[in-house]
Amino acid sequence: MASAPSKLYADDVSLLVVLLDTNPFFWSTSSLPFSKFLSHVLAFLNSILVLNQLNEVVVIGTGYASCKYLYNSSSYSNHGLEDGRMPALCTRLLKNLEEFVIGDEQSIKEDPRGGTMSSLLSGSLSMALCHIQKVFRSGSLHPQPRILCLQGSPDGPEQYVAIMNAIFSAQRSMVPIDSCYIGSHNSAFLQQASYITGGVYLKPQQMDGLFQYLSTVFATDLHSRTFLQLPKSVGVDFRASCFCHKKTIDMGYVCSVCLSIFCKHHKKCSTCGSVFGETPVELDSVSKQKRKTPE
Amino acid sequence: MPQVKIIAKNFMDMVASLPAMKLDQLYENAFICEAILRSLPPLAKKFVLQMLYIDAPVSATSMEEWVLPDGVSKYKVAVDRLIQLRVFIETADRKRETTYRLNPMFQANLQKLLIHGEVLAREPMPSNITVRLPSLEELEAYALDQWECFLLQLINSGQAEKPSNISSSVMKVFQKGLLSQRDKEAPRLTESGFQFLLMETNAQLWYIIREYISNSEERGVDPADLISFLLELSFHVTGEAYDIDTLTEEQRYAIKDLADLGLVKLQQGRKDSWFIPTKLATNLSMSLADSSSRKQGFVVVETNFRMYAYSSSKLHCEILRLFSRIEYQLPNLIVAAITKESLYNAFKNGITADQIVTFLQQNAHPRVAERIPSVPENVTDQIRLWESDLNRVDITPAHFYDEFPSREVFEAACDYAREWNGLLWEDSKNMRLVVKADIHTHMREHLRRQK
Amino acid sequence: MNNGENMRLNGEADEEDDDDDANGGLAAWERTYADDRSWEALQEDESGLLRPIDNKAIYHAQYRRRLRSLSSLATTARIQKGLIRYLYIIIDFSRAATEMDFRPSRMAVVAKHVEAFVREFFDQNPLSQIGLVTMKDGVAHWLTDLGGSPESHVKALMGKLECSGDASLQNGLELVHGYLNQIPSYGHREVLILYSALNSCDPGDIMETVQKCKTSKIRCSVIGLTAEIFICRHLCQETGGSYSVALDESHFKELLLEHAPPPPAIADSAMPNLIKMGFPQRAAESSIAICSCHKEAKVGGGYTCPRCKARVCELPTECRICGLTLISSPHLARSYHHLFPIIPFDEVTDKVLHDPRHQTPKVCFGCQESLMNPGNSPGIRVSCPKCKQHFCLDCDIYIHESLHNCPGCESFRRPKLATYDE
Repeated sequence: MASAPSKLYADDVSLLVVLLDTNPFFWSTSSLPFSKFLSHVLAFLNSILVLNQLNEVVVIGTGYASCKYLYNSSSYSNHGLEDGRMPALCTRLLKNLEEFVIGDEQSIKEDPRGGTMSSLLSGSLSMALCHIQKVFRSGSLHPQPRILCLQGSPDGPEQYVAIMNAIFSAQRSMVPIDSCYIGSHNSAFLQQASYITGGVYLKPQQMDGLFQYLSTVFATDLHSRTFLQLPKSVGVDFRASCFCHKKTIDMGYVCSVCLSIFCKHHKKCSTCGSVFGETPVELDSVSKQKRKTPE
Repeated sequence: MPQVKIIAKNFMDMVASLPAMKLDQLYENAFICEAILRSLPPLAKKFVLQMLYIDAPVSATSMEEWVLPDGVSKYKVAVDRLIQLRVFIETADRKRETTYRLNPMFQANLQKLLIHGEVLAREPMPSNITVRLPSLEELEAYALDQWECFLLQLINSGQAEKPSNISSSVMKVFQKGLLSQRDKEAPRLTESGFQFLLMETNAQLWYIIREYISNSEERGVDPADLISFLLELSFHVTGEAYDIDTLTEEQRYAIKDLADLGLVKLQQGRKDSWFIPTKLATNLSMSLADSSSRKQGFVVVETNFRMYAYSSSKLHCEILRLFSRIEYQLPNLIVAAITKESLYNAFKNGITADQIVTFLQQNAHPRVAERIPSVPENVTDQIRLWESDLNRVDITPAHFYDEFPSREVFEAACDYAREWNGLLWEDSKNMRLVVKADIHTHMREHLRRQK
Repeated sequence: MNNGENMRLNGEADEEDDDDDANGGLAAWERTYADDRSWEALQEDESGLLRPIDNKAIYHAQYRRRLRSLSSLATTARIQKGLIRYLYIIIDFSRAATEMDFRPSRMAVVAKHVEAFVREFFDQNPLSQIGLVTMKDGVAHWLTDLGGSPESHVKALMGKLECSGDASLQNGLELVHGYLNQIPSYGHREVLILYSALNSCDPGDIMETVQKCKTSKIRCSVIGLTAEIFICRHLCQETGGSYSVALDESHFKELLLEHAPPPPAIADSAMPNLIKMGFPQRAAESSIAICSCHKEAKVGGGYTCPRCKARVCELPTECRICGLTLISSPHLARSYHHLFPIIPFDEVTDKVLHDPRHQTPKVCFGCQESLMNPGNSPGIRVSCPKCKQHFCLDCDIYIHESLHNCPGCESFRRPKLATYDE
């Protein structure tokens, strides 16, 4: 990297990593056309770049079968006019996006499988965190990073462990994960991600005003968040997904050796191989008589 | 400290002080809108973005609801700033409630910007015409060189190697306030002059630019035009060449001055001539904001009061000389010692201990900058102690009164002196008091009336 | 490392030699500056010019060695870890703890690091519990009951910082044995003794107590602050714990924190079982409800028991109404990276890099950092054996130490292969 001897940093310099859901299964059923969605997002990304000369935007595509870096504002000059009057952000992003979506659809055709409709959020989250870690390494003067998930597809229970790992890593590095969920039901993964990392979870009610939601809530830099009224959480779905059927459950059995979660009683733990003898117990049943209830 | 005010005054205040009509005119230029937006405090930026697609006026009360109770003071600052700059236009609706709306011109320009993305101020020249463009490093070195040369010339007109073409009258304007010249004596730096030298480059640059702008009217140039040109310049790309023929007459005149400051580099080809903006120019709009800014430092201070400055710059040497004793100078290293004498010299020139400490901290070499504290504590403490040594005794001219005829008269005199805020000392037992010299005449009047 | 190992066992007996072994003949005061003496590590190249020290490569090589030794352990034994732990920490506050060889005193150092340990412990073992016991005046005092809140333990400990009399190993063990015998069979019973004294003042035969601990499957570990003692070694060997003696404060901290990650489960130390648990949902921030734990109306997010719908304020807890253990799934998930460890990446050899048939990626898959050397030749990198993506060394460390996900594997959906399905 070129050394930047004279960097100037204000409080509100931010690095925004946007995870863009491009899952074709979701967009084919969505009431909001992808192109319209994209125009809102592009204006939003532009506004982030306009707010501060040093702001950086990275866009990672979350596809159905793959994830890819689509755009990084710091690697090209913002001003470069390429073909015609289209500025860099649009041309680069749109070109990469198109390639990515085509490649992604290709791999769907190779592996035609019904059932799961989810995108690979765990992959793009992991990539985003690696990128942010690189920014942290770059020295004491770096923009404040945050992640924004623009997600529409439903959660993929098979990614549960990976997503949780990513969330905890983000929490440890104090990187908030904001989520703007445009699907029909709430996403438990993103609710948890935002709750644990101190980000904002929002499910816009009116898709036509998406830009207003984005600019009002998600354009807020971390510094300003300390004195702005942001949407409060409307509950967090803390349900787990079981390891055996990948179902989301609110009550289940936990292996005492490895803490794997199962939706029904098994004889043997599929994760650690422990053999369970007796009927399931409740954790407190033995210690109950002894334990005083603290008031 | 009145002398600090001229330095701390923000460039944006200058823009804000332009008449409303001029401001609206400025906003017709999309680049100005962008530069102004970036210069705003973070909260104000948020408000602008939030209001961008709202056409109806928003009431002040509903806007205040966006802010948490802790942030009310920040909110007030932000809104005040927006109104000052006429980005927000204040109106009162029928219920006499204050409402705000965005300046329509500003709004339209920003909307355009968000949809179309950033556009260039000016097309760069194709590379087949421009030959041997300097590399970015060369350009930066050039800019710094030019700037230091200018500074040297500013503080010591004789010392600069190559005289710039800034007319001596303009130079005089810059020097006004920084240098004081008595008859037949060599000019000396004033207090603010010393402080100016200790500021970091961008602050210095803005000071100069501001003087340049406020002086423009005398040269027959409209300050608003100059401001808009400078802001526009900051949206050019560093290192690209731009055709000089695209500039107006006045701008062409101005750009020669800017080249002397190191903001642009002028080059000439066979037919055309072009200018290449340097980092100093493109950073202009960024440094508008009151941001905490830093650059690579070069000074290492040791606990034994010895100072090593890795610099080959003559200017740095001059600056260090302001408060330390230069012991020897190697090609890229200056070794100096901070001594009591050198510091007393600095204090005498009106430099404060805090300024010296901040300078040392801001310019700490990257290897020591990581440490906390970057400047050894014993050194900073000692600098402050030496400064307070000078302030141990405060001399106030005073008058001494005694032999009062009665206790009543004495007490009345004390009260009177207190009223004037001039009582320095009283001894009620022996009926003696001391008052400040400047109220002596009033005191005498008072005592005479008592008789 | 071998030196370090020996030294720990030799204890104080040959203190004079210790320093020599440890740091190439540096006195303790010199060691503080050892890191700064970078000029001593300077290397020259063929023509006699100084070569910049490649700290990064050295650091990474060390890291990889550690990773490999860890993973070889993990693969030999099937991943079974004692994740539900019941740990008693017995702290020696006898006269010996007032010694000032640790600054300011052994007691203060122990207390400081126990505090850090307790917090770290609950971070890594979400469902486990800790209890504190102190030894002084020949008896053992019970300080806190087994519990899951770090704050209450720390508070209790900080309020009781005084030492006197002798330590009694037997009394301490007897006390915790009584408590640990009651806990459910699936829990792992552990004792960690922080021992300052060189003697033990016992009322009876301590060997009997050691056997009792052994039959109750209580794993006892000791960290000594003075020197190795036979009885401690015997205790640890018998019960399967670990014994170590701290050299100095930083070493003590290191030894203590080694006990924070869950130990590999010993075959029959605990009966595996399935525990029924509830995963409540967090209510909206503005909702109002009467909570069952404080019995008062509260505004703001509480949790709702999935079985009886009662409201509780905090997790983990057990429902006051129906007794179901309530836990948030993130709590459990915090330990999952122990279960599904990510395989170490392979270093990409020069041969592969220069093979014209392979197309070598130019940037790190994770962070997009360039993987090329200045001369545009492929630089050092590692690759994931599963997804074959290339990563830079920094990402390698981050992925294995903190993220616990391979970005490459996570970003490609492969037919019929979920990340943790076996």
